[in-house]
Amino acid sequence: MSDKPVLTLRDLSIEFPTPKGVVQAVKNLDLTIQKGRRVGFIGESGSGKTTTALAVMQMLAEPGRVASGSIDLVGTDVLALTEEEMRKTRLSRIAYIPQGAMNSLNPVMRIEPQLWDGIIAHEGHMERAELKRRSDAALTSVGLPAHTGELFPHELSGGMKQRVCIALGIILNPDLIIADEPTSALDVVTQRQVMQTLNDIQAQIGSGLILIGHDMGLMAQSVDELAVLKDGELVEHGTVKQIIEAPKHPYTQDLISSVPLVGGDSFLNPERNAEAPKRDSSEPLLRFEKVRKDYGAVTALHPMSFALQGDTPQIISIVGQSGSGKSTMGSIMLGFNPPSQGRVLFEGQDVAAMNAAQSLEFRKNVQAVFQDPYACFNPFYRVNHALKFPFKQFGLAQSEAHTQQAMEEACDAVGLDPDLVLSRYPHQLSGGQRQRLIVARALMLSPKLLIADEPVSMVDASLRATILSNIYDLKDKYGISILYITHDLATAYHVSDYVMVLYKGHVVEAGPPKEVIGQPQHPYTQLLIDSIPWPDLDRAWGGGRSDWDPETLEAEAERASAVYRGDVVGFELARV
Amino acid sequence: MGRIPRDYLVNRLVTLVLTILIAATIIWIIPRLSPVDPAEIALGRMASGAGAVANSEEILAQLRANMGIDQPLIVQYFKYLTGALVFDFGLSTAAFPTPVSTLILNALPWTLGLMIFSLIITFFIGNLLGALMVWDRSPKLVRVAIPAAMVFTSIPPILSGLLLMWIFAAKLQWFPLTGAYSIFVEPGWTWDFVSSVLYHGFLPALSIVIVTFGFWTLGMRGLMITVQGEDYVKLAEAKGLRPRYILYRYMIRNAILPQITAFALKIGLLIAGQVLVERIFAYNGMGKLLYDAILNQDFPVIQGVSYVIILMTALSVFLVDLLYPFIDPRIRHEAA
Repeated sequence: MSDKPVLTLRDLSIEFPTPKGVVQAVKNLDLTIQKGRRVGFIGESGSGKTTTALAVMQMLAEPGRVASGSIDLVGTDVLALTEEEMRKTRLSRIAYIPQGAMNSLNPVMRIEPQLWDGIIAHEGHMERAELKRRSDAALTSVGLPAHTGELFPHELSGGMKQRVCIALGIILNPDLIIADEPTSALDVVTQRQVMQTLNDIQAQIGSGLILIGHDMGLMAQSVDELAVLKDGELVEHGTVKQIIEAPKHPYTQDLISSVPLVGGDSFLNPERNAEAPKRDSSEPLLRFEKVRKDYGAVTALHPMSFALQGDTPQIISIVGQSGSGKSTMGSIMLGFNPPSQGRVLFEGQDVAAMNAAQSLEFRKNVQAVFQDPYACFNPFYRVNHALKFPFKQFGLAQSEAHTQQAMEEACDAVGLDPDLVLSRYPHQLSGGQRQRLIVARALMLSPKLLIADEPVSMVDASLRATILSNIYDLKDKYGISILYITHDLATAYHVSDYVMVLYKGHVVEAGPPKEVIGQPQHPYTQLLIDSIPWPDLDRAWGGGRSDWDPETLEAEAERASAVYRGDVVGFELARV
Repeated sequence: MGRIPRDYLVNRLVTLVLTILIAATIIWIIPRLSPVDPAEIALGRMASGAGAVANSEEILAQLRANMGIDQPLIVQYFKYLTGALVFDFGLSTAAFPTPVSTLILNALPWTLGLMIFSLIITFFIGNLLGALMVWDRSPKLVRVAIPAAMVFTSIPPILSGLLLMWIFAAKLQWFPLTGAYSIFVEPGWTWDFVSSVLYHGFLPALSIVIVTFGFWTLGMRGLMITVQGEDYVKLAEAKGLRPRYILYRYMIRNAILPQITAFALKIGLLIAGQVLVERIFAYNGMGKLLYDAILNQDFPVIQGVSYVIILMTALSVFLVDLLYPFIDPRIRHEAA
């Protein structure tokens, strides 16, 4: 390779002709990526970052097309290549590491043949032993044991699958690697490991790297240069240091400030409603009595007891990685998933032993907000149907006008304009609007308890804070206690009254957030916090320790006993 | 390839036996709900032949004894079940005293041949066309021609059969009108006989193919659209694999999985669906046997044919269940 730039985009415009007119997805983009450099493309969904990458791959979805400009890959004019030449360029010169690691591998093929077919498509048939040698080398280079190649995709974890995709990306030593949100489906600990692998291997083969993402923290810890995109335009480009320390464009400033930090200013509205409605009942709102859940031989949740009084509304956060048992807890609380042992009591009533009338009352009082707001709407109905239906079903509606009024109030409460959203179909709304409608829907039933399971993990970073503060404000305004299930420690730090850290179905650390997340004591909590990428160059990933090794820390975490920090009035957790 | 876990095998075997047992029972019950007395029908047949029958009461009793329907129901039921185990369904009442098993054994090879032949062709063509309808590199002509060809799917098989007979057998005289083989050849494993069978089987098979391929095409089209949007297909393209390889190994290979299950279920349905086709082509298969048996109220034959249909469906589903872990590795994982 010469010292030519790996990729030069000159005046690149991409458009999507639709029956309603031409949509400009990318506008006059100029960008050069030097050999060995890592460049982050950051922006919200719809900003054109993935579209640009796909244009470089010549894989734009129909009817997208490059309207003008040029794409130069180490001296080759990509736009002038024939289809067959472009096919040969993919993988051998530009490798693409996709977003959906979970689903990027052919489920009916073992891993090895999926690496081999890539080699064969570019270099022709060769000895099986040679193929095997190369796939083993690629897998080993991303830190996977060579026998991984003999497994099927479903036998691997998400992190392992993403490493396989990286192994595939580097198998032909490309000039450029495009990684499209490679860690968005992974939890923080795995995310850090996978990014480390990607960066190491990229440095080793000396290719250029485009990292597409929306998380300023991840970018700060991973790339050399940043290109900030908004509505198809490059609004700012520079080194990470320049951009993080002195962002010029207001949008970049927003992106940086929207990452919630542990400590520092809260994103919540400081004006609190001191007069929160009180609940009058002697029984605790929600009580877990030695609740345990097994799936076959696996114990997802070890016996756990707690009582949430709920006299004054509180937010209890349950944090942990995927597989920690936090979503299992959520579904047990909702009564969707009966515990294997123990009892769940809602206002003194066993959730598993309710009669029809009690069950109806329970459903009204316990509402949920899930991760994927789109999946929560029936795509055939306008969204007001989703709001109206439960309201009428639970007998709360006095008249059509009353229902309308309730819907409008609920929309106002979550900061939506009812005239604008209510008569739309789900697909016509943004992710943030949908999730706020789901909160509004829950609100209309005046529940006593809201279970929010990763409510903002699928929403753009800039909207997360808004939606969380919506939920937070409801707590005081309507007297709703909230169980906030999340992997995001920074938001849990700000919104919660009490935090439980879950690891392999055990509570490992619990207490007020300032103590548990602010000064973690349990090795697992420390591991989680050290894995968070901060948009701060002085605060290096992994707590700045050079010997940072998640595996040793996890082993340490397994041996350590649970740490119980300060108590909070209204929530009692039984110590194990 | 891995082994089939024992628990899984036992589970499937129990399901198989239970399915057959329950189905056999239902087949036995249904004709007994009918008010018709097969002995009276047989007597009626004798009477219409001989003009009059003396001591009819005695003959009826004798007929009932021969048919075994004079015994208590429970005895009849267990006799029937033990008989069904060894494919003994008693004697046909219409073609008395030919054993039902002989009738079935004579008809079965013809139907199996015609059915498997046309089912495999339909499955292959239907799925390939369905896949090509979705594939973005198919020639334009293919994408236009397939939906047009699917018009045939809405034609009932009896009509397509008659239409084909009229055009290719009556008008053009390219193919014989009816029968399973030429009356001038001796049945046996000779080239003359085999070619005659293929020649005679062509039109009936074609009439089945053109009306049933649309089922597979539409199903496959839907499955392919889902698979086309999967990330692994996008990644396959990003890997620079050849388009044809992506089509076969990544797209069709995944989309075909539910179709294979449907294939097993179709086997039983096909015999039933073939009844009229066999009838109009005077093809001596199971379909025609069943058709005649229903006309003649020949309960033992109806039972026998239904039993064989169920047995074949249950067995093919059983085989697909055993085969499935090998074609979809995720299934094995769940069973283990």
